[in-house]
Amino acid sequence: MIALVDCNSFYATCEQVFRPDLWGKPVVVLSNNDGCVIAANKEAKAISEIPMFEPVFKIKKQLIQNNVTFFSSNYTLYGEMSQRVMNILSAFSPQVEIYSIDEAFVDVSGIKHLSLNSYGHQMKDRIFQYTGLPVGVGIAPTKVLAKLANKISKKRVSENKGVFVIDTEKKRIEALQWADVKTVWGIGGKHAKRLKNIGVFTAYEFTMLPEEWVRKNMTVVGVRIWKELKGIPSIEFKTMPKPKQGIGTAKSFGKKLEDLGMIQEACSYYISEVSEVLRNQKSCATYLQVFLHTNYFSDRDKQYSNSITVTLPIPTCDTFALISEAKKALDAIYKPGYRYKKVGVCLSGIIPREYVQGNLFLPPPRWNKGELLSTFDAINRKYGKSTVFSGLVGTRVKEWELIKEDRSPRYTTQWGELLRVRS
Amino acid sequence: MKIFSSGKLTKVKNRHAPEVSKQTGFPSPATHYAEPSIDLHKELITNKDATFFVRIDGDELSHYHILDKDVLLIDRSLSPKKNDLVLVVIDGEFKVIRFPKHPLDSECILWGMISYIIHYAR
Repeated sequence: MIALVDCNSFYATCEQVFRPDLWGKPVVVLSNNDGCVIAANKEAKAISEIPMFEPVFKIKKQLIQNNVTFFSSNYTLYGEMSQRVMNILSAFSPQVEIYSIDEAFVDVSGIKHLSLNSYGHQMKDRIFQYTGLPVGVGIAPTKVLAKLANKISKKRVSENKGVFVIDTEKKRIEALQWADVKTVWGIGGKHAKRLKNIGVFTAYEFTMLPEEWVRKNMTVVGVRIWKELKGIPSIEFKTMPKPKQGIGTAKSFGKKLEDLGMIQEACSYYISEVSEVLRNQKSCATYLQVFLHTNYFSDRDKQYSNSITVTLPIPTCDTFALISEAKKALDAIYKPGYRYKKVGVCLSGIIPREYVQGNLFLPPPRWNKGELLSTFDAINRKYGKSTVFSGLVGTRVKEWELIKEDRSPRYTTQWGELLRVRS
Repeated sequence: MKIFSSGKLTKVKNRHAPEVSKQTGFPSPATHYAEPSIDLHKELITNKDATFFVRIDGDELSHYHILDKDVLLIDRSLSPKKNDLVLVVIDGEFKVIRFPKHPLDSECILWGMISYIIHYAR
């Protein structure tokens, strides 16, 4: 049996834990650079005028009118709180698959001394007691059913109190009949539409289709979901994350930039971030993409956007090599006279370090020899991000840096930003 | 033609000092009694996933020996007993009180128990 534990409105509730004045009130969290709403608690979701993923400037008035408190995203805080939740869960089972920042699959197969329902309540209660974060728990024989059970745990709250177990055939069928097929984990909008066309609306109707139909129309991925819904485990339990296939970062500038030098510095900074991720997972990138664009939402500005992908001379994770490639790439697409809003970088063709083939005509890669990069990372880990950096990142004020106007304090990681209590 | 390397494997030099006394004369008599230094984090925090730090503003809590700028360690995993210092929420505001004999009433929500008070003595 597998439990899916998932935090309710995670980002918003992380903020509320430290702000009792906001308990029971609408709270939303904005994306990087305060671009759009990325998370809302249930009180905010209940206000119909607040659509998710809308640019904030379009809905700021509605937010203020409805007394919604908004926060810039504080990923340092959310990451640390997430870590606490995952640590607590690991005391419940030796097998925990961290699926995302706010959800995890927990293998609860061996639980015999207690009913699974009480075990689920124990997890939920302990996480709430230790961290103040509310969670929902769904327990079922397969991952897809656990996802569904989790959804049910949150829907009929008065009845289920945040925990729902699918442990009988009757409960499984009831759950499947209740669930709209488009809400099933792994079935996208496109497939749901096609299923609707042939008269399949609920997850139950989907499981009644013949396996050949599913295989033909939804490939083997669809068959796995189909089997999982029938209670046959078909998606493996992963305790180790898969290395990333592409690593990228792109953030809007705090203000519009024209000057190539400034954009260069931002670009080099993003490269430093992503190459560190590469080194942490001991892999190298084969391709580098750089893109640049102006503000699509502005009617007054001339618009321009371009993107370039280069094959690296040799797959690498060397910050300095990547920065110099990115500089060349940016030079190729930059055009003066525009007010740019965003630059982004993306590394792909990611392979494990030991698979990298050397190039006879180039010097051996730096990560292979010497200790520059490992020392570089060690210093930054010990003394904080960007203690040492490439000269191309620059030392002047980072005008391009994100505006995080309404970011809450980093209560759990910064001694200078502790939760303050007035006596 | 000059051959730079004959393909013979060379051993990497161990850059770490071997496990011997750092004194050149007498070996230290303490060698076999070495223990790690005291780590306050380890001593004061029994449950790090449930522990939060809070800084106090103001001198109103001096009767509890809590002064301005003191840092409280809050361990949410502990169940308070009568007279323990606790952080509670009343009307959406944090308050420090002594845990009463009777259970807390519904307007008063327990946030966590205060396990230590850190006070800068200077």
